[in-house]
This record gives sequence, C-alpha cells and structure tokens, in this order.
Amino acid sequence: MAGEVGPPSRDKERDGPVVPLRNPGDAMSVETEQSIATMRMPAGLGGLLPALTLIGLFFVVPVLALLLRSVTDPAPGLQNYAALLGDGTYARVFFNTFLVAAVVTIVTVLVAFPVAWMLAIMPPSLASVMFGIIILSMWTNLLTRTYAWMVLLQRTGVINRALMATGIIDQPLPLINNLTGVTIGMVYIMLPFMILPLVGTLRAIDPMTLRAAALCGASPFQAFRRILLPLSLPGIAAGGLMVFVMSLGYFVTPALLGGTSNMMLAEMIAQLIQSLLNWGLGSAAAFILLIATMALYALQLRLVGARRATGGI
Amino acid sequence: MKLIFAGILAGLLATTAAKAEDMVFTSWGGTTQEAQTKSWAEPFSAASGIKVLQDGPTDYGKLKAMVDAGSVNWDVVDVEMDFAIKAAKDGLLEPIDFNAVPKADLDPRFTTDHAVGSFYYSFVLAWNKGTVSGEPAGWADMFDVKKYPGKRTFYKWSAPGVIEIALLADGVPADKLYPLDLDRAFKKLDTIKSDIVWWGGGAESQQLIASGEAAFGQLWNGRVFALEKDGADVGVSWNQNLTAADVLVVPKGAKNKDAAMKFLAAASSPTGQAKFAEASGYAPINTKAKAEMPADAVKALPDAHVDGQINLDMNYWAANRDAIAERWYAWQAK
Repeated sequence: MAGEVGPPSRDKERDGPVVPLRNPGDAMSVETEQSIATMRMPAGLGGLLPALTLIGLFFVVPVLALLLRSVTDPAPGLQNYAALLGDGTYARVFFNTFLVAAVVTIVTVLVAFPVAWMLAIMPPSLASVMFGIIILSMWTNLLTRTYAWMVLLQRTGVINRALMATGIIDQPLPLINNLTGVTIGMVYIMLPFMILPLVGTLRAIDPMTLRAAALCGASPFQAFRRILLPLSLPGIAAGGLMVFVMSLGYFVTPALLGGTSNMMLAEMIAQLIQSLLNWGLGSAAAFILLIATMALYALQLRLVGARRATGGI
Repeated sequence: MKLIFAGILAGLLATTAAKAEDMVFTSWGGTTQEAQTKSWAEPFSAASGIKVLQDGPTDYGKLKAMVDAGSVNWDVVDVEMDFAIKAAKDGLLEPIDFNAVPKADLDPRFTTDHAVGSFYYSFVLAWNKGTVSGEPAGWADMFDVKKYPGKRTFYKWSAPGVIEIALLADGVPADKLYPLDLDRAFKKLDTIKSDIVWWGGGAESQQLIASGEAAFGQLWNGRVFALEKDGADVGVSWNQNLTAADVLVVPKGAKNKDAAMKFLAAASSPTGQAKFAEASGYAPINTKAKAEMPADAVKALPDAHVDGQINLDMNYWAANRDAIAERWYAWQAK
C-alpha cells in the first residue's frame, strides 16, 4: 500500500486514465497529464499555508466549537451523547441514516457499473461527450433536480399518470415520501461520484485480459466475475465509500422525497438546531456524524490507499 | 494579494455603511410576505424614507444564533406567537417601545411586552373539489378514511394545531382541550398515519391541495384564500376553525431598533392592518382596521367565522413547547 504514494513518473503510468476525470474535454492530452503530475510535486509548506489557514479558520475552529458546545450546552457533561445514544427515536434515525446510505450505495454501484464500462470502452471522442452529459447534471442546482423528481414521482406525477393512463396500474404507486423516493433521488445525484472513479479503474484494465479469458474458454459471465469484477474492485470501493459518506450527511433530498419516518441525521440536526433550539443535542449529533464519516474515511484509506481512496481525484 | 483583501474589506465596509439607515424585515416568504411587503414595507418606506430590505424565511435557529453571536441582521421578524412568548422568556427579544408603537387599538390577545401582533389566522379544513366527492363537515372527517379516502396533509412541525385537531376529532369538547392529552392525540393520529402527507411551508400546502396530491388538508386560511383567488377548485370548512397568531418581534441587539419600532407602528396601524388583511385573507390585530376594509373582504376573514371558533392556547404551548416537540418528532419518526 505504501507504494501507492510513488514518484510522479509512476503516477503517470498508474493514474493516467484517471486524468480525464478532471477535465473530460481534453481527455487524453499529454499536457494535462503532465501539468497534473507537476501539481502533485511537493510545493513546500509555504504553498499550503493559505489552504491550511482557510481550513483551520473555517473548519477546524468551528468543529472544535461544535464539540465544546456538545459537552457544555445546557450543562457541562456528556448528557447530550447519553440522550442521543440512549433514546429509541434517535437510534432509529441513526439506523435509518446508515440504511439509506447503504441502499443508495448499492443501487448506485449497480447502475453506475454498466455506464462506467461503456464509457471505458467507448472511443474517447464519444466518451468525452458522454462525460459532458454526466457532468452537466452535476452543474444543475440540487434543489431544482430534487423538485423535478417530486413532479415526476408524486401520486399525481408524470410517472403515475402515464402508468395509470396505459392501464398498467390502477392505483398510484407510492414512489415518494418513502424510502423508494429517497433512493431514486439520491442515486441520481450520486451517480457521477460513482461513475467517475469507476471509469478510471476500468480504463486501467487491459482489455486483452478479457480476450485472453474468452480464448481460454471463459463465458462472458465468468470473465466478468473472475477478471473484470476483481480488477475493478478498487474503483468500486473508492466510489462506493465516497457515495456512502456523502449520503450520510444528505439533507435536501431525503427531506423532500422521504417521509417523516425516513428522517436522516442531517434533517434531525437541522430540526434540533432550527426549530427546537436544542443546540447542545444538535451539536452532539453533528459530531457523531462527523466521527462516523471520518472513521469510514480512515477505513477507506487503510483498505485501498490514499491515492485510490479518492479515485485519483 | 494584500491589495485584493483590502479591496474586498473596503467593499464589505461600504455595503454595511450603505445599509446603516435601512432595516431588514424577515417573514415566511410566499404570498404572505408579498402581502406584507406591499401593505407595510412599501408605504412605510415611501413615508419615512427608511428602506426595508426583505429576508426570509423566518428561522428560529438563525434568530438565536444572531442574538447569541451579537451580530443581529434582522430588525423585525414575523414569528409564531408561542415562539415569541418563549423567546421573550429566553431573553432573545427587545421589549417593544410602546411610546413609538400606539397600543390603544391593538387586540390585547396578540400584544405582549415583547411582541406586536402581525395578523391572526385560522387553521381550516380545505379540500380539492376534483378529488373529494361530498363536503367534509369537520375535523372528524379527516380521520374517516372509509368515508373520505385519499391523502391528508397536516402541518409538519411541532406547533399548535394538529394535536388539537386530533383531539377534537376524537370527541374532546373544545373547552376541555387543555392541558393536551398527548397520548390520546397520538393514538388518534396513528389511525391515519400512513395517509398523512406533511407540509412544511404554506406554498407546499397550496401545491398539495391544488394538484390533488392530497385530497384534504389543514391549511392556513390565507393560503386557501389565495388559492380561491387564483381560481383553484377548493372547498373549505370553517367548522371548529382554530385561531393562532403571528407576531412581529425585534431580536435582542437589532441594529436598527428605532427604525424597527417605527415599522411596527406602521404595520400595526389600522391602515397597514386593513391593507394586509385585504390582500391576505388573514385577520387584522388592530381593532380599528375593519372599518377601513371593503365589506366583502371582511367576510373572508376568520372573524366572520367566530361560531365554533377555537382559540389555540399560545401560553400553554409556550410553556410546553419543548416537551411536546420531543414527543411529536419521536412519533413522526416512528
């Protein structure tokens, strides 16, 4: 694993296919690869200073303030954490948060894999166009996209009306205000974050290995299971963990497409802070979420190494 | 680099300086805030020269954060009355300067040391005439899924209203509502829980009913009034309509307190209240306002439906807000 952090020249070989992720427009240009390799050269602490100051001032300090509040508001002690971990409702919200994140991650992997494979084997010019389309969806406002899903999924929405008009169903399907709605909305938003690292990994796989497998008599399924899947696991792990971690903290989509029984942690925190003004409890919940997220990230680093953990991004 | 920072800093200072004579009014957005802007802010600015900037939606967490941090950007905020009572107790609000705000004609039900009424409203039962056959007569019908199938929409947040509706529907007499029997209310709500769609804001409630996504709902009367004005096919029952109020408050440490008090005087004046009531369908909190309103506008107000009207107990809610909220959200999350 230590070998992952190698000299730039090795990076170019290993991470070459990842470069298009940053800039699909000039996917294969050598300059881009080189400029990125240069950027990765250690630039000294001086160059890092503005970024570190920014993170220190606007992330570390508030997080410490959050931690402090969680153990001092309304009185010093761990009562906020005890309340969160000992109460059935909060436990349900925690469980729900992890459940939704897990379901979303699994579905995202299943949907993203074929897309990523197509992108990996497509001619680069066509792939750039496809990348453009995928990236474009990320540029559209999150709230707008979520409202669009509301219009599509609600009982009187486009999907239900079409299905009822064609006689396939006679009662509207419950597609919104439940786990189905949350999953659909979130998978859609998470897809690019899964596809991008996955394409990088898949491109690095030599297509000849598949041909060799076929020549040795492997069925397409065997070739997929024994060759393609194992080789693409780092990409799946990288994308999957990123999607999982991002899903844990999601707010807008579950709030709009889920029901009250699908409440996730972020919504609960907002409620505690905004309507109940229980900042101590809200801070404790936020801190637990942060710890869970960081633990997962640490796990990812251990499992797949720093470079691959971020999918090369 | 330094030059850029200096430039940004100067720019920031300049904007703050320019805003020094202005004030910020914060409310809930949508058709209500539009009416407040037209009826209060615009005439007030024209008369006083004080520019009123609009912000929103009201967010109690933000209000508390501003006061705690000593950096209050809001000068007048429209809040629910039970919150105002609690917030005054918690030291989040400035006392009202009744030398600047004439008190004599203000409805005493909605005036406190720290708040002046904004408007008062009723929760009414509204339905989409296209999806509901027949005329639901009252809250009990919202709990009768056999007679009236379809989704029902209720206010999502823990606030006066839904608990009372469940108790009334379960047969609790109006004068025996308080103290609220929460066990009984949640048991009643359990019977229709899977048919409930929650609305978090006024515009959402309008959209749910107008589209037929929900067949019935507990709506603010002003939002139904706006739907009717827009020609939506909605029915409304005023039977056992539940009144509650919004009030205007000045957060502790507001930067433009004097302007805020002047604004409150204008907003609560007979003319300001009459104009807003006419535009919104919400009732005025100034007893002289109705004399300035056209007769047909007065008919649309909650005051025209005092028969069977129930006043939600703001003081009870202010005292029990946190305890009820805890149970409310726990029940919702189940």
